[in-house]
Amino acid sequence: MNKTQKKLVTLSTILAIGFGIYPAANAMHIMEGYLPVTYCIAWGILCIPFLIAGFFSLKKTIQEHRKTLILLAMAGAYAFVLSALKIPSVTGSSSHMTGTGLGAILFGPCATGILGLIVLLFQAVLLAHGGLTTLGANTFSMAIAGPLLTFGIYKLCQKLKLNRMVTIFLAASLGDLFTYCITSFQLALAYPSEVGGFSASLVKFMGIFAATQVPLAIIEGLLTVVVIMSLESYAKSELSALGYFKGGAANVK
Amino acid sequence: MFEIDTLCYHSKLREKNAEIKFAFTVLTLFICVWNRSIVIAAIVFATTGFLTVCVGGIPAARYIRLLCIPFFFLLLSTLTVVINFSKTPLSGYAICLGTFYITAGKDTILFAVQIFCTAFGSVSCLYFLSLSTPMTDLIAVLERLYCPSLFIELMLLIYRFLFVLAELASSISTAQKARLGNRNFRTSFSSFGALLSVLFIRAIQKSGRLYDAMESRCYDGTIRVLHQQYPVKRKELFLCIGYELLLLYFSWKGLP
Repeated sequence: MNKTQKKLVTLSTILAIGFGIYPAANAMHIMEGYLPVTYCIAWGILCIPFLIAGFFSLKKTIQEHRKTLILLAMAGAYAFVLSALKIPSVTGSSSHMTGTGLGAILFGPCATGILGLIVLLFQAVLLAHGGLTTLGANTFSMAIAGPLLTFGIYKLCQKLKLNRMVTIFLAASLGDLFTYCITSFQLALAYPSEVGGFSASLVKFMGIFAATQVPLAIIEGLLTVVVIMSLESYAKSELSALGYFKGGAANVK
Repeated sequence: MFEIDTLCYHSKLREKNAEIKFAFTVLTLFICVWNRSIVIAAIVFATTGFLTVCVGGIPAARYIRLLCIPFFFLLLSTLTVVINFSKTPLSGYAICLGTFYITAGKDTILFAVQIFCTAFGSVSCLYFLSLSTPMTDLIAVLERLYCPSLFIELMLLIYRFLFVLAELASSISTAQKARLGNRNFRTSFSSFGALLSVLFIRAIQKSGRLYDAMESRCYDGTIRVLHQQYPVKRKELFLCIGYELLLLYFSWKGLP
């Protein structure tokens, strides 16, 4: 091999390694150790009121119907497995669903908050997506803010009597986009830009993550539509089991 | 599907006291993230890597591959910190693009390197915990820390159901692949939707059956399990305390 050939081989190897690493990307979990301690604690504290509200609501439901504990655990496991599966994509790179939209529509925002916290903890320990110190920040963006927005849009569209498919698509994909905006916000707040401060940093983070997150949000929205529509046609009785959860799938009719 | 979980059951550190491993990880993580010092991050990376690979016996190649998982996030976010658009060049580097520059100051570059190192140090620290302590032991530690019982039971049950559902999902997707369900984007899309909905239906059905089985075995709302106890050895305790004190000393010295 002459020099140019060697260079070409090296370059292509580097590219291949780059693409080899890319599929492992689950870009929107803030990784372990990336946020300063003060921000970790602050985001954690911000989560607490939502989690406590969810906790008491769940506790009441479980005391009334003991069966819901098992159902809830299955739902949590489902959310975890869902986020660990690779979704089909056009480019060949593999990415994962966040499942926030589907969770919020099926189980309601209260249950999704608590389940989300547990699922994120498991993801940090078992899949190395996210981390222990950034658990608070990730919980806020993925288990609280995203599901709440999804649920809000879902209810709003139902009131407006929009087409069901459009409703589900809007709720799921906008919830996903909102999650990504919150994560960018969290990062920008922790690392304001040298020139232009917080706002410039926010634009940069959103711009860089938009490349992966916007197509992903659309795919996730479409998938949520497919899943909920097929559940409604094949699994009426199973869905009615979810009616116990406040704001949950009792409204999927 | 869960490589970390499988590896952790093979670790030689598995039969050490879980509480001390947990305390060690949390303290080290905290000191590492608090200081953002390159030296401390390097020390943490070296010691936890040594503990996981050499003492715990996790294959080095797999360990390195696991370390690459968060790499993409790290790369993107650190690039974002270092790239600035400005009309005037800053002290670190500057690339001229017509009327403005892509640029960053020296302090920012040092800061970015610090974040990068801290993140790798703390990921390695997290791996020490997850590659040496099975989930059930971790849940037992949380129980000792007075986590609410509803939470503990949910975690226990979810951990068990993970494997049931993951196996189901993988067999469904094998069946779909065998029937050319992933031929192109369109089919793989509808297969994935079908996979998710069938998985959901099965999960609900299984939970109903499981509840009936538990009910018939006198389930009264609490699940009682016996935990295996591994006592703390005095040597391990002293080593951990010494290590944390050393880290605290370094952070007090204020290294870069």
